[in-house]
Amino acid sequence: MSEMRIPRGAEVRLGAVDGDLRAESSVRITAEGTVVVSGQARFDGSAEVIGHFECARFRADDGTVVISGDLVVHEDVEARDSTLEIGGALKARRVDVDRKLRVGGAAEAERFEVGGVLEGARTLTAKGVSVGGKFHLAGRLEAESVEAGGSVELADVSIDTLEVGGTVRLGGGEVRRSIEVGGRFRSAGPLKFGSIDVGGLAEFDDSATGGSIEVGGLLTASKDLTFDQLEIGGVGRIGGNGTGQRAEIGGKFDVRGSLTLAHALEVGGSISVREVLSGERLEIGGSLDARRATFSGPVEIGGQVSTQEGLKAARIRLERKSRARGPLVGDTVEIERGAKVEDVYGGVVELEERAEARRIFAAQVRLRESAVADEVTYTQSVEVSADARVRSPPRKVDTLPPFPL
Amino acid sequence: MLDDREPGRGGPRRREATDLYATVLEVVKRYHGAARITRVSYGAGMPVDRLRTLVERLVALGLLKAEEIDGRPAYDITPRGQEFLSTYWKMRAYIEVLEANPEDRISRRRA
Repeated sequence: MSEMRIPRGAEVRLGAVDGDLRAESSVRITAEGTVVVSGQARFDGSAEVIGHFECARFRADDGTVVISGDLVVHEDVEARDSTLEIGGALKARRVDVDRKLRVGGAAEAERFEVGGVLEGARTLTAKGVSVGGKFHLAGRLEAESVEAGGSVELADVSIDTLEVGGTVRLGGGEVRRSIEVGGRFRSAGPLKFGSIDVGGLAEFDDSATGGSIEVGGLLTASKDLTFDQLEIGGVGRIGGNGTGQRAEIGGKFDVRGSLTLAHALEVGGSISVREVLSGERLEIGGSLDARRATFSGPVEIGGQVSTQEGLKAARIRLERKSRARGPLVGDTVEIERGAKVEDVYGGVVELEERAEARRIFAAQVRLRESAVADEVTYTQSVEVSADARVRSPPRKVDTLPPFPL
Repeated sequence: MLDDREPGRGGPRRREATDLYATVLEVVKRYHGAARITRVSYGAGMPVDRLRTLVERLVALGLLKAEEIDGRPAYDITPRGQEFLSTYWKMRAYIEVLEANPEDRISRRRA
């Protein structure tokens, strides 16, 4: 196959090239219509192409190649120690650029591999995108896998997986399978995802719906958040409603709306829910604050519980020296040693040593040593140990008053 | 090339040595065992000579491992390196949590 050579620093006008094209450093090519190279186009150093460029294979070494129009490559683009800037659209089979790739128009290839920076002003369509440093795209991204070592800023995505070492900013869209981010993740618009795992901070500025969410540090969702499993190492904050299967929070969790879980909630520190908290099981090391909390299974509280309308569960256990404000309602309610509660409603209510309650309404009531209650109303039995006190005499009734909740 | 902005604070945060090490590790991780020094330098936004010093230190600490591929060294992250990154990002997040009140951040964004 013949080869056309353009010497260093030359300025030429080109149309069709039969065979290969080899351009030395600092050339300037003006396209007559479109430059069409039937073989390989190779640039040894920097070059400028005014117009559209098409070839079978594209190779650049040690420079910056600027193409003002479109670049169509039937096979692969390879740019070693080079930057490639395309003003128009880019279409190729595979694109491999060491330094930087900038595309002004739509970009389409099976795979993009860029060592440094990938910038796109329009859409990008690919099976895989791998960038060592930064990846910024102003248009829609459609791909299977996307990974980057540094930062990623994307407007709208429809992808399967996203794996980024540093930071991610998304306009919104859908990540069908997984998002893995080492540092910080932020989504400005509505987002759907399969799962998300963020080492540092995750921020959802709009509604977000997905499977499992795992965040090492801080999670903030400004609107509603829907998930299967939520695990936060540090602090969680939901500005709207939270809905999911289960949640595990290491530190503090704050929900402005309601939090509705199908299964368990475990909180190492404290949880505050402005509206209604509901689920199957609750285990909390610190404090719970909610307008109302209802659980179909057991609840264990190590610190304090504060509700306006009450806490209801099949079984409630307040650990030693814990505190409860607002009514407690349960089939079984156990108030451990030294704990203090207000009104308690239940089937069986037990106050352990030195526990204190205001009013108790239950079928069966037991007060251990030095336990104190202001009032006890019961239907079946009351057992008051030595040193335990009921300030008003216990009252047996046929029917208890209706329980709250 | 990690984003050094601290949310809620606006100003750029000076890159500490640990940030540079994390940057290099994250870039190396993307190449799945075939990270060449030049490619890492483009990804990390760092000149090769400076990067080489950092990489040597990371190898000495057992956070990276080097292997000859086609007569040239290629780098990969080790399990200790992964552990470093996980701890680094978690720590960065905790520092932000401790230094900035999340309530302020949300209300500022809403305003």
